[in-house]
Amino acid sequence: MKMNMQAWKQGVLASRTRYALPVLTSLGFDLTGATVRAGATDGRVQAAAIQALARRYAFAASPMMMDLSVEAEAFGARIRLSDHEVPVVVGTALQDTSEVAALAVPSLEAGRIPAYLEAARITAEAVTGRPVFAGCIGPFSLAGRLFGMTEIMTEMLMDPDGILALLEKCTGFLEAYAAAFAQAGVNGIIMAEPAAGLLSPAQCDEFSSAFVRRVVRKVQCDEFAVVLHNCGNTGGQNRSMLSTGAWGLHFGNKNDLPRTLAELPGEVLVMGNIDPAGSLRMGTPAEVKAETARLLEATAPCANFILSSGCDIPPGTPAENVDAFQEALDAFNAGR
Amino acid sequence: MNELLEQIAVCVERGKVNAKSPFPPDLRGQEGVDELTRTALAAGVPAQDLLEQGLIKGMQAIGARFRRDEVFVPDVLMAAKAMKTGMAHIRPYFQSGEVKRKGVFIVGTVAGDMHDIGKNLVAMVAEGGGFEVVDLGIDVSTERFLEALGQKPGAVVGLSALLTTTMTSMAETVQAVKLKYPGTRVMVGGAPVTEHFARQIGADAYSADPQGAVEYLNTVVA
Repeated sequence: MKMNMQAWKQGVLASRTRYALPVLTSLGFDLTGATVRAGATDGRVQAAAIQALARRYAFAASPMMMDLSVEAEAFGARIRLSDHEVPVVVGTALQDTSEVAALAVPSLEAGRIPAYLEAARITAEAVTGRPVFAGCIGPFSLAGRLFGMTEIMTEMLMDPDGILALLEKCTGFLEAYAAAFAQAGVNGIIMAEPAAGLLSPAQCDEFSSAFVRRVVRKVQCDEFAVVLHNCGNTGGQNRSMLSTGAWGLHFGNKNDLPRTLAELPGEVLVMGNIDPAGSLRMGTPAEVKAETARLLEATAPCANFILSSGCDIPPGTPAENVDAFQEALDAFNAGR
Repeated sequence: MNELLEQIAVCVERGKVNAKSPFPPDLRGQEGVDELTRTALAAGVPAQDLLEQGLIKGMQAIGARFRRDEVFVPDVLMAAKAMKTGMAHIRPYFQSGEVKRKGVFIVGTVAGDMHDIGKNLVAMVAEGGGFEVVDLGIDVSTERFLEALGQKPGAVVGLSALLTTTMTSMAETVQAVKLKYPGTRVMVGGAPVTEHFARQIGADAYSADPQGAVEYLNTVVA
C-alpha cells in the first residue's frame, strides 16, 4: 500500500503516543506453522508470517526478514539454510582484492532475491494501515560477507582501494535491490549494517556511511524511507550514521539510547534497543516488561523515539515475551 | 638490545608486518616485525625475551587501547597479523623447549555456528598474550573439543557463539567437558552470551572482550 512516509514520520514526531517497531518476523513462522527455511526461500511463506504478526500486534510498521545472507548468496557466496535459524553465509565469494574487478554484480533474478521481492509485493498489498519495511544488508556488511569478515578488516588497511572497489559493486547492487523493493510497493527498507560497528568512526565514514548515503539518495523519497541499523555502534558512530541522510536510525542494545537521543537532531527517528537475545529471546515476560518500561521512561521526553528491539528478534523467541513488550508499551501510553 | 625489542613491540602495536607492507602509511618502507624479529634472533636475543618484551608487550598495548576505544577491530587484527609473523620465527624455540608459553588455550565457535570474527580476535590476542592457541575453527562439535582436550590435557577451553540458537550447543559442550575432564576451566563469550548465562551453564568465566579473555587466562596460570 502506498503511503506518504514523510507524513508518517511527521505523524510519529507529532504524536503523544509512543510507537513500536520491533524487528520481528521469526515469531510469524511459529504463528503460521512454517520453518525459517521456508520463509527464507518462499516469498509467500514469508508474507504470510508477516501478515500473521500484523494481525496479532498493533506495531507501527511491519518489517520483513532481516536475512543478511540473501544478497551475498546472489553474488555467489555459499550459504547455509536451517529450519530454526536465519540463513548464514558459510563461504566467501572472493579470496583477495585482485578478484574484485572480475566479480560480476548479480541481477535481481539471482539466488533468493526474487523470493524476497515476491514477499515484498504480497506483504505490501496485504498489510494496510501501517508501512511495510523490507530488509536489506548494508554495503560494508555485504562486502565483509563476500570477502570474509576477518579478512576485510585487515585488507581495508592494507589495500583500501581494493576494498573500496568491492564496495562500489556492493553499492551498485544494493541501489538496484532497494529500488526494486520500492517498485514492489513496500514503504521503505531497514538496511542492516552491523559490521560497520566494528570500525572506527572515520573508517565507518569512509567504508560504510559514504556508500549507504548513495543508496539513500537513490531511493529515499516521500513514498520510501530508509532506516539504517547498526547494532555494533556503541555511540561513537552516531554522527557517521546521521551523515547518511536516512530518516530513521536503528541502534543495538549496546548503545546508550538516551545519550544518543540527546546527541542527534530531533527530526531523525531513533529506534531501539531492547536486548533481542538476553531479554526477548531468553528472558522472562516480567524481565522483558521491566526492561521495556525502563527504556520507555528513560526516553519519554523524546518525540523522535520509536521503541524497538536492538536487532533482529531471533527465532525461538516466546510469544509471551513479545506480548510483554507490547503490554509495557500499552501501559506507558495509558499513563501519558 | 632493549631498543630492538621496544621497536618490535611498537611494530606489533602499529600492525607493521614487514618492510613491504603498506600499512601503516607513516611506516611505509621501514622494517616490520618480520625483519626485526629475524635481526634480533641473529643478534642472539633470547627467544623468550623476544616473546615477552616484544610480541606480548605489543599485543598488550593494543589490547589496552582497544579496551579504551582508542583503536578498533581492524587495528587489533592488524597487530595480531604482525605478531603472528614474529611468532613464526620463534616457533622452533617452542618446539625445542627453549621458550615456554604460559599455557594452552583451546578455542572454537560451537556446533551449528559459522561466525568467526570474535573467536579469531580472542584466539589472536591470546596467542599474543603468550598462550599456545589451538584454534578449532567454527561449527566445532563437542566431540572435537573433547578430542583436543585429550591431546592437550590441562588446557583452558574457550567457546564462542553468536547465535542464540547455538548457545544450547555451548551448554552441551560445557557439560560434556566438565563430565569427561572435571578440572578443566571453560570460558565463554560472544554477542548474545552474558555473565548470567555463563554461570547458568556451568562455565567458569565469561569475557566480553579479548583482553578480558587474556586476563582470565593469566589468572588461571598464575
